Amino acid sequence: MRGQRVLVSGMGSELGSLVASLLESQEWVGALEGIDIDPPRRRLRKAVFHRIEPHDRARVVEVVTRFNPHVVIHVAVWEPDARVNTVTARQLTHDAATSVLGAAAECPALEHVVVRSAAEIYGRARRSLTRPDETAPLDPTSEFGRMAAVIEQTANDVGNRAGVTVGALRLAPVLGPHVPSPLGRLLRMPIVPFSVLADPPFAVLRDLDAADAFVAAARVGLAEPLNIAAPGAITAWQAILRGRRLPVPNVGPEWAITRRISHLFGAPVPDHVVETLHRGRLIDGGRAREILGVSPTVTTPEVIDRLYAWPSVIHVIQPNTQHRGAA
Amino acid sequence: MARGTTQIIPLETGEARYAPLANVLRVETNPVSLVGPSPTVDEWGRDARLISVLAPIAHARWDVAVGGEHHLRRGAALVVVNTRRFALTPVSTALALSEALGRPVRFAGRPDIVPFGPFLRRVGGLLADPDEIAGALRAGEIVVLGARASRNPRHAGAIDSALIAAAVREHVPVHVAATLGSMISRQARVEVAAALRPRRKRRGPLAEVELAEQAQRGLQDLLDELGGTRTAVPGLGWLGEG
Repeated sequence: MRGQRVLVSGMGSELGSLVASLLESQEWVGALEGIDIDPPRRRLRKAVFHRIEPHDRARVVEVVTRFNPHVVIHVAVWEPDARVNTVTARQLTHDAATSVLGAAAECPALEHVVVRSAAEIYGRARRSLTRPDETAPLDPTSEFGRMAAVIEQTANDVGNRAGVTVGALRLAPVLGPHVPSPLGRLLRMPIVPFSVLADPPFAVLRDLDAADAFVAAARVGLAEPLNIAAPGAITAWQAILRGRRLPVPNVGPEWAITRRISHLFGAPVPDHVVETLHRGRLIDGGRAREILGVSPTVTTPEVIDRLYAWPSVIHVIQPNTQHRGAA
Repeated sequence: MARGTTQIIPLETGEARYAPLANVLRVETNPVSLVGPSPTVDEWGRDARLISVLAPIAHARWDVAVGGEHHLRRGAALVVVNTRRFALTPVSTALALSEALGRPVRFAGRPDIVPFGPFLRRVGGLLADPDEIAGALRAGEIVVLGARASRNPRHAGAIDSALIAAAVREHVPVHVAATLGSMISRQARVEVAAALRPRRKRRGPLAEVELAEQAQRGLQDLLDELGGTRTAVPGLGWLGEG
């Protein structure tokens, strides 16, 4: 097991760089390389980073095949309206999945692939399960859910062709101090809309718990989809009150106007976030501990509390120039 | 502070003087606490605080005596009850059992339409879907399932074997519970029987079909044993049958 070569796609993202920093401390990891459109957001000591555009397939193939990884962790997934708009997110995610996973299939040493998927993959159609487990049928009803379904399909295709195991982590909405999340951004607005007639419960996930799950999935060789969500649940109304925001009740049709107004104020609301607030988003993450040996430790209400505890502006005190001059 | 633990307030602090007042205020403003920020929905969407607020209203309508609850003390269980049209029997039974057992009890059969679906989810409702019921049973929950509604309160209706299959799949015991109540009376009774024992071990779909038939027979036997509800008014006893 020791001396494994691990490739992390999407290493520049908050989640990707967290995964990379955790992998650096793993004994079984021999070499670590990463690819992304942006540089990593934290200091990495051992990892080698390649800044490559997802559509530059030739370069991705060259870098990946030269590294010849044993394990590929594919985190290069752009959530709509997190960093880019929905159309660009779909394109970048598709390009990254095709180039990285396609290149990985060409590597003779490849043994295992872990991909980032999302709880949105189950969809929230009428009479869909309140808390689907991994065996529930996939019926995505939002763009992000469809993107997750395509990623899983691509990864499974690569797994079948290359004869390697593929695991997918279906994450609840990930929130963290530096994670660009449309749900987190909306909940932190001073005025927050919510569905007054439904006010359904949803679960979220702390970024560090998501990163832990990726590392564990790579270590144990996860070979199936697995739900990852923080214990507990919360409704939008309760989250808004915890954050001492002003709730704006919405019934249904006015969501279209609310989304536009929110977009104007800097918090675009993609369809999967509207779905979360209108239909809820719970998943059965009970198998994580049994399969990975780890499970999220921070509960959903605690993750929401931390969301509101992050400072909006961090004041950096200027060093005292007089003292420096005197010295 | 965790619920149910005692808060120790040092006597020298001024806070101690206000603690009794705070306690009184908390009890008196319990219904208003619904708008409080502390989350009380669980992973299935059941809201313990909403149920505690609704409890006095439910008690005003029903005075339910529960028997045989010791059969359900631990672990998951599927409880099949007889139902009548428009009587919300699974809801009232789940609330009564929850109170008697001191743990959440859910019921299957909530609609998925606003506002009834979300409201019933808050009081413990699940969709009448085998996978939904199986998920709850796997998580160690008690789920109340209504038999098909009948006109006569003392007749047990048929039981959907597809829903019973969830319990078979998850190796969870199936109990029957007879409910007796009336449209015009507050008095109601829920009697839970011991877990059903299938007569034959089946590997295929006959397991749930036979278990559903056995549950219906068991429920009918239990209803016959309990007898009907009667009013105490001479000549008008039949009114108790609702």
